[in-house]
Amino acid sequence: MDANNSVTLKTVQKAADTLSGHVITTQVQTDETLDSLSGRRLFFKCENLQKSGSFKFRGAYNAVSRLVSSNGRTPHQLQVVASSTGNYACALAMVAKVHGVTAHAVMPNNSPECKKRTVLSHGANLTLCEPAAQDITRTVKQVQNATGAVFISGADHPDVIAGHGTMGLELLRQVPNLDAVVMPVGTGGMLAGVSVAIKSTCPEIRVYGAEPEVANGAAMSLNRGERFTFSRFPQSIADGLNVNIGAVPWTYIRSNVGDIFTVSEDEIKNAMRLVWERMQFVVEPSGAVGVAAVLSDSFKARAVGCRNVAVVLSGGNVDPDKLSEILQM
Amino acid sequence: MDANNIVTLETVQKAASTLSGNVVITPVQTCNTLDLLSGRRLYFKCENFQKSGSFKFRGAFNAVSRLVSLNGATPHQLQVVASSTGNYGCGLAMAAQLHGVTAHVVMPTNSPVCKKRTLLSYGASLTQCEPAAQDIAQTMKQVQDATGAVFLSGSEHPDVIAGHGTMGLEILQQVPNFDAIVVPVGTGAMLSGVSVVIKSLCPEIRVYGAEPEVANDAARSLSSGERCTFPRFPQSIADGLNGNIGVVPWTYIRGNADDIFTVSEDEIKNAMRLVWERMKIVVEPSAVVGVAAVLSDSFKARAGECKNVAVILSGGNMDLDKMPEYLQM
Repeated sequence: MDANNSVTLKTVQKAADTLSGHVITTQVQTDETLDSLSGRRLFFKCENLQKSGSFKFRGAYNAVSRLVSSNGRTPHQLQVVASSTGNYACALAMVAKVHGVTAHAVMPNNSPECKKRTVLSHGANLTLCEPAAQDITRTVKQVQNATGAVFISGADHPDVIAGHGTMGLELLRQVPNLDAVVMPVGTGGMLAGVSVAIKSTCPEIRVYGAEPEVANGAAMSLNRGERFTFSRFPQSIADGLNVNIGAVPWTYIRSNVGDIFTVSEDEIKNAMRLVWERMQFVVEPSGAVGVAAVLSDSFKARAVGCRNVAVVLSGGNVDPDKLSEILQM
Repeated sequence: MDANNIVTLETVQKAASTLSGNVVITPVQTCNTLDLLSGRRLYFKCENFQKSGSFKFRGAFNAVSRLVSLNGATPHQLQVVASSTGNYGCGLAMAAQLHGVTAHVVMPTNSPVCKKRTLLSYGASLTQCEPAAQDIAQTMKQVQDATGAVFLSGSEHPDVIAGHGTMGLEILQQVPNFDAIVVPVGTGAMLSGVSVVIKSLCPEIRVYGAEPEVANDAARSLSSGERCTFPRFPQSIADGLNGNIGVVPWTYIRGNADDIFTVSEDEIKNAMRLVWERMKIVVEPSAVVGVAAVLSDSFKARAGECKNVAVILSGGNMDLDKMPEYLQM
């Protein structure tokens, strides 16, 4: 069961060069209240402050940039397509615009309105479909057939995963004496990329995933030793994580990830409220899932000996109008 | 009409030494979207990240610290009292707790719940009263008579004003070239402290205040040349700015402020939404009054030539449950 070797420390380092000057080296924040609540020292990697409002910008930028340089045609003749619950589509739309490339996004019809709006505001074409794996695949194919657009999978493309992995390199520089890193898991692109960066450099650092209980595909896969998928997408308030773990990310997660912690909807809401109120940061529900995990009883029980824990705040694209609905506990 | 000279560049510099290591040197953030909307380069001083959630901590810490060093009694025998719409109460409570001093705060009943909760969490005692100047003065006297507490006015005390002025020193270091600075005005303690620093060191930099139209006592004072006050506090959603301009602050604002811009409730709400959605920072309504001002037509008309503008985001203590109200336009 060898891990797929299309994402390596080298490809992540190359991605870091490509991204240099184009992505924000986001700050790492600490908070005394959250330290006392968790019983350990927490280091929050603020990807909610990243361009396009989430870490997805990293992978999208690396992938489009490499496509443009390796492709014979001029950028404006290039078209790209991808499916996304929202943040990857927003990032791809923004990145494509910057490169002069046309972007097509296929999104489930129940994606947050603010994310649909953002995709359109960057000049990308948007097609909506049913929130089910089959419908998404079919719709992407339709768009590809109609436009000749290149499919850049947000979940499986090695350039996207390598781009996300650059967060791992930054964390290693920004946080001395790191014991563990905790990240939300949707398709697993971030977890896979960051795990490659961390495990290749400092294998003793633990890499953990965090998932909603109701969207626990990655946790189930890790427990069973085999990739598990939902046929119809779950409906956690962590809308960005209502997807299946990708085939390529799974090969890295299987070897590199020590544990995946699942949290209830209420734990996610509580974590969101804490970040908003104590840290004064706008974080979306998916973005707070790592925080919920480090505050959970299971983390206290299973992540023994982790004093200094980095937690990725993956994104902040949430409708303020939806906030009171989201926070109803 | 000489300005009162109890707040000087020297007293602010002294405050900076007192505060060193005890306050957060808050970051200055920029935002492309807001630059585009305002037609100038904006530099946001993020005091929402300050201890206790607003810049008020600076003045409170300086005042309590100096009181403790000048006073013969041991800290735990000292008691302090002040009235506040919320943030100064929180700042004072936290500063007092750090020094082992007992704090009493008098707050209007309609102050945000989160501010009442926060000051209680720092161990201060809270007395509520009607939101009118007379009631506040009366209740304060009652508490002083009962406890012998020292009154540390959040608006008039020179040590508080000097403490707030330290933001001016930091901004001069953090932002290489700016033409103007915009500061929300409640009692005017921040505007007066910051104006002393700016006008002493770089008198060519314009110093502007920003107020809600419905709480425009400072703007009216500046226009008429005489201090104007409301007998019953106005009810802007910018709850921190519903207080009257103080006597001591007025003496500095009169001499140092170049203009005060007023904004509507809708302009404040629009600015809040922009900061949440684009900068991913949680700010309270009072905090974005400066943002609303730089986006306003009056600013374009009267301060149009200022191309690089520093704006203070004064605090982030807001009730998340009030969100729908803050967004309804």
